[in-house]
Amino acid sequence: MEAFIQPGFWIFVLALAGIYGIFSLGLQIQYGVGGIMNFGHVGMMAVSGYTIAVLVIKYEWNFWWAALLGVVLAALLGALLGLTTLRLSGDYFAIASIAFAEIVRYWILNTDTVTGGTQGSLAIPSPNGFGGYTDKPDVILNWISERLYPIIGDEASRDLSMVLVVWPFFFFFIWISSRLQKTSWSRVLRATREDDDVPRSLGKNVFRFRLQTLIIGSVFGGIAGVFWALQFALLAPEDFLRIVTFYGWMILILAGATRVKGLLVAAIFFGFLYGATRFLEFWPLSLLSSPERAYLRVFLIGLVIVILMVKRPQGLFGKRQEMILE
Amino acid sequence: MENTKTLDAAVLDVRNISVSFGGVKPVQDVSFTIKENSFTSVIGPNGAGKTSLFNLLSGMNKVSSGEIIFKGEAIQSIHAHKIAQKGLVRTFQGAKVIRRLTVAENLMMAVQGNPGDNLMGFLNPRARKSFEAKAREEAMRRLDQVGLTKFADEYAGILSGGQRKLLDLSRALMADPKMLLLDEPFAGVNPTLVEKLLTVLAALRKEQEITFLLIEHDLETVMNISDRVIVMADGKIIADGLPNSIYENDVVIDAYLGSRRKDA
Repeated sequence: MEAFIQPGFWIFVLALAGIYGIFSLGLQIQYGVGGIMNFGHVGMMAVSGYTIAVLVIKYEWNFWWAALLGVVLAALLGALLGLTTLRLSGDYFAIASIAFAEIVRYWILNTDTVTGGTQGSLAIPSPNGFGGYTDKPDVILNWISERLYPIIGDEASRDLSMVLVVWPFFFFFIWISSRLQKTSWSRVLRATREDDDVPRSLGKNVFRFRLQTLIIGSVFGGIAGVFWALQFALLAPEDFLRIVTFYGWMILILAGATRVKGLLVAAIFFGFLYGATRFLEFWPLSLLSSPERAYLRVFLIGLVIVILMVKRPQGLFGKRQEMILE
Repeated sequence: MENTKTLDAAVLDVRNISVSFGGVKPVQDVSFTIKENSFTSVIGPNGAGKTSLFNLLSGMNKVSSGEIIFKGEAIQSIHAHKIAQKGLVRTFQGAKVIRRLTVAENLMMAVQGNPGDNLMGFLNPRARKSFEAKAREEAMRRLDQVGLTKFADEYAGILSGGQRKLLDLSRALMADPKMLLLDEPFAGVNPTLVEKLLTVLAALRKEQEITFLLIEHDLETVMNISDRVIVMADGKIIADGLPNSIYENDVVIDAYLGSRRKDA
């Protein structure tokens, strides 16, 4: 249990929270505003992360250009997903989106010569025999750590530098997103969440609004992928399983789907749940090994979602009235 | 091309439209012309094809054959939202309100040409805000007209059935229609309110020169306000004429009014 009083633990939790918070911002605008149930969000994260790794390692691109292209590709993929399947209603789109993310993952898994296949980014063929892609951003992270070292000593870790980089972005995106959700654009979207016919009958091109939302959400997914790739410095296909999308959903449901700012708290709660399970060493959990305990988070996250749906469907910060109006 | 012009002051010209869903043919070879600023009621028993007709006119469903000319332009194959933008606006049977938007937001949503509806408009907050202020002002004026002012900032989901009808109508008006298609605006509304609504519609017709086409079950209700009544049964028009002449029409009496006339 003493792990929980270590600053290093909480710094890791915050770094994770920032990344997954940005990830769930994408789901928030798609579902909370537009009512689009996207269960394939992890695909966007995978695409931008892998774009960076492949371009930097194999083609020796500059990291920043690769990151930019990664986010652009995530947006284009969102557009592709939308143009092909967004005409499906509700549940059907949700199913198609799961399939979409699985296609992305299987593609990564099976194009070994480009993506390294099952072995992940380490196996991406590189002209100079070196498989890393984070050297450029690492310069910045190290620079931050070096500045902090005289002040806080050994706590000046790479994780802390990540926190200091990710969280300003997280705050900024929350600000942008909540501004966007005060426009008449989002009012039309909130109408489409309940009923397509009304906005259509009033001259609104419902499909355009939906597609735009899907793309904006995908951009957030792509940006989260950039930070994810940075934080873990290594990518493998099994990092982008369906469960990752549901991590994002848990944060969203916890916050309340319509409450952008709630994501701040919900993301930290998720980071804690994700990071903490490994350290739960009391009986009977002490019978399990540490990696086995790490899997508890999957159960716990499922449990949290179920409890919330039953007891507090509007999330921690949502308005109950929004859920019960008929 | 030119023959649309020859029909003097026709705002809507429906030519031989039909629709079929599998073996079901809700609308079969229907034709009629609506004059500008007129008030026409479509009546008919359940399943006569009235709402199906509205779905075709508003572009929600597409015709299998035939043409719909609105203000001299063929609209049978364009998107529903484009038809609404041209000024042909409909309401729905049973009044569809967006429950989790406020009453005022429901109305403000309907305004046309809002720069804030466009993502590029996000970059121009000043234009957005002044437009929003104007939209809000108009929404409040419309709400005042139908006595819903006190609900302006409540979720529309709390409104009663009758209030939803009023909201639905006001919202359609916010979209600046040239012609309104009203689907059973009076069903389930109490008689006093019906009287009030009829007055509002008559005023709108006079002041804003809106053309009305309205679906109603009960001929009596729309008897006085209508210039013309179209009677539908089994997807076809079985009678079309002045309200009074409908009462005298044998076909209509058989198909629809029969029992009541015998009782009387």
